[in-house]
Amino acid sequence: MVVVKFTFERENRMKHRSTLLVIILSFLLASFGFAQMPDENTLVLAQSTDASTLEVDQVGSRSEANILAHMFGTLFEITETGEIIPYLADSYEVSEDGTEFTFKLHEGLTCADGEPLTAEDAAYTFQRAADPANGFTGNTAGFVFDAAGYVSAEAIDDLNLKIKIKQYQSIALGLLSEVYIHCKDSYEAMTLEQAAENPVGSGPYKFVEWLKDDRIVLERVEGFALRDASFQTLIWRVIPEASTRAAELIAGNVDIIAGVSPDQVDAINSSGAAKVQAVAGTRRIYIGFNQRQKFADESEGGAAIQNRDVRVALQYAVDVPTICATLLGTECERATGLVNPPNDNPNLEPYAYDPEKAEALLDAAGYPRGDDGIRFKIKLQSPNNRYLNDGNVALAVGQYLTDIGVETEVELLDFRSVYIPLINAHDAGPLFLLGSGGGTWNALYDMADISEPTGATNYTEWPNPEWFTRWNSLADIRDPAEERKVINEMLEIFYNDPPWLLMYFQPDFYGVSDRVDWQARRDEQVIVYNAKLK
Amino acid sequence: MWQYALRRVLQSSIVILGVTLISFTALHMAGDPTLLFVSERASAEEIAETRAILGFDRPLHVQYLSFLGRLIQGDTGKSITYRQSAMKVVLERLPATLELTLFAMIIAITLAIPFGIIASVNRGTPIDGGMMTLAMVGQSVPSFWFGIMLILFVGLGLRWLPISGHIPILEPLFTGHFREAFSNFPEALRYLLMPAVTISLFSLSRNSRLVRSSMLEVLSQDYVRTARSKGLKESVVVTRHALRNAWMPVVTMVGLEFGFLLSGVVVVETVFSWPGVGRLVFNAINQRDIPLVQASVILFSLLFVGLNLIVDLLYARLDPRVRLG
Repeated sequence: MVVVKFTFERENRMKHRSTLLVIILSFLLASFGFAQMPDENTLVLAQSTDASTLEVDQVGSRSEANILAHMFGTLFEITETGEIIPYLADSYEVSEDGTEFTFKLHEGLTCADGEPLTAEDAAYTFQRAADPANGFTGNTAGFVFDAAGYVSAEAIDDLNLKIKIKQYQSIALGLLSEVYIHCKDSYEAMTLEQAAENPVGSGPYKFVEWLKDDRIVLERVEGFALRDASFQTLIWRVIPEASTRAAELIAGNVDIIAGVSPDQVDAINSSGAAKVQAVAGTRRIYIGFNQRQKFADESEGGAAIQNRDVRVALQYAVDVPTICATLLGTECERATGLVNPPNDNPNLEPYAYDPEKAEALLDAAGYPRGDDGIRFKIKLQSPNNRYLNDGNVALAVGQYLTDIGVETEVELLDFRSVYIPLINAHDAGPLFLLGSGGGTWNALYDMADISEPTGATNYTEWPNPEWFTRWNSLADIRDPAEERKVINEMLEIFYNDPPWLLMYFQPDFYGVSDRVDWQARRDEQVIVYNAKLK
Repeated sequence: MWQYALRRVLQSSIVILGVTLISFTALHMAGDPTLLFVSERASAEEIAETRAILGFDRPLHVQYLSFLGRLIQGDTGKSITYRQSAMKVVLERLPATLELTLFAMIIAITLAIPFGIIASVNRGTPIDGGMMTLAMVGQSVPSFWFGIMLILFVGLGLRWLPISGHIPILEPLFTGHFREAFSNFPEALRYLLMPAVTISLFSLSRNSRLVRSSMLEVLSQDYVRTARSKGLKESVVVTRHALRNAWMPVVTMVGLEFGFLLSGVVVVETVFSWPGVGRLVFNAINQRDIPLVQASVILFSLLFVGLNLIVDLLYARLDPRVRLG
């Protein structure tokens, strides 16, 4: 009897172990299989960061805006070529004094939840964003309203919306085209916390799901007639690590990736599964010559760069195309000013790399080489890992300047904790590397960086009176040809009395699967409703 | 035992308080956080206004005491980035991190035991040498590099496992969606394997060496010799007699292991796009989102301290010679 019991227990134990083994093996077998690739109705995109919010009026980063641009329509839209074309609005009129815009909406518009979208909804969009009780600091409330001088929005009737601004602004239409429009009822029914997670849009796609730090899923709005949307589903994945994004692209699990690292370009291009598109972006990378008296008082170098001839001489010392080719992995043309092509001054030629000329100009400016071969010493501050290969670019510039006798000490700083405070206080320098976002649609958008001698974004505090006289005169000019003439004059002034050591427009790299037909834009926007399968 | 547990809870509270103080001071020492919440175009007045709104204009000790006051009421504040309760944001990501850490712990412990035993019973042989060499390599390889190698060879080359991403198990389980949790499990396992193996590599290697040395010590004891002389099979001697007594150092490690694995998730979550707390904290530190960092620190401290308390209580169960008091 004892023997029988023992055998039974042993058999039972064996049976349990076998069952456990089968379960483990089945899970392991299930584990090994090909990863799932997107089907023909789905487009998968990957960015490095997740949205911190889907609150339409709080959105401020490019990665968030890329997603929201598919869910929300705007009154007008800025195309990849910088053209401003109708979108939710069919047309617009401007009052004689340029302070009132009347937009006429398309008929029959609806929001993603089916609610009709009228001028009242559009007016509510502006009012909600401007309401201080909501405390929004996103692109609309934090930038567009300030830059455009927004005053009020009201519905004239179901289709017509009137927006008032403080004074004439030739770039007001483009600025107002950045405001995402939504319906009133759906947003009034939600608390701010609910709205931050449940966007109800007015564009070609609607919100389905947000798995934080993982993915955001959008689905096509059937019957949305204003834009073609080829794919039924868009999945925006968050893949922070550049090499992982590249691997997912090559494996075919992702169709479009942003922020390809230059060292991965060859691997992607030779994979047979995807290609890299390099575009000259709109972000202007430059070395600022800080003009504040404080720097002139503190160091010999700080004083030297107050001299216009020195600033011109230093332009010839740096080989920008070589920096692009070797450090950024692409060809680029040197910038001639602060305005992105094609809105720049076509008559200006980029400064050439000519170290001998640089030395001759420095000699003539009263800064000959000393016995130790040094003309003067200067400090160049730069963030590290904020812009594409920025630290190495700064080191390269430092070496070029040292080669012509300007002994340059390069200081690499943490962007968030150290560099932003310095930049905001205009305390970076005497030389500092910075990247400033720009646009393709209007020269004035880029030039607005330098709107006052001590303005917030005039980080060098460049005080050229000829520039500011012309800048102020632009408010009274309505004729586009006359405006263009003044802009060209200003860009020439900038070129000849440079507050920046002119560098390049930062190239952006996108990886695109061979199954997809899509063209990257220059302005860092990833808009894919025009993407198609090949 | 209850007295002991209570005393440990009180001690743990002091530890957590110390952790919050250190993290709070460190975050503020890194510079004025206000500047991270204003645009580059902000004027000095706007910066000052924002500083006042965020409460950063008050003396540091007042800010800390105010934080502690709210904490006692269960309020860790609102995340500045997410504009939601900081603890809610952290808790949303916690299940993914727990899945990863627990699975990595399972790998590190369950494999370390047989590896350590095999090495110890084959002491001095090429098997022992080979395994210990591998363990040394495992402890030396950076997890970042190992993770990328796994992605390249297992994910991209062999296409056996997904390269990145996450399928939830614990989140549906915690919210009562048991069917979803169960149906997700096989698929979730595919996503878990590579990051969990990456994160567990160091612990697996260290624990294998630990089990080996612990086993070697036990195997030379008199009672093991007695067991062998009774004619018991070697497998019975090892598993029933030696292993039970070699457990103690391993159990000690489990509590510490959890903290170690949590510290490793930041890199692994980034490499494998795992939507967990590690990445959240890393970004929160970068963005100086102080409430979010504090909420994460408090939660991690609670988990770590709690687990170590459980481990200490387990001692008494495993070894009757241990007295709690």
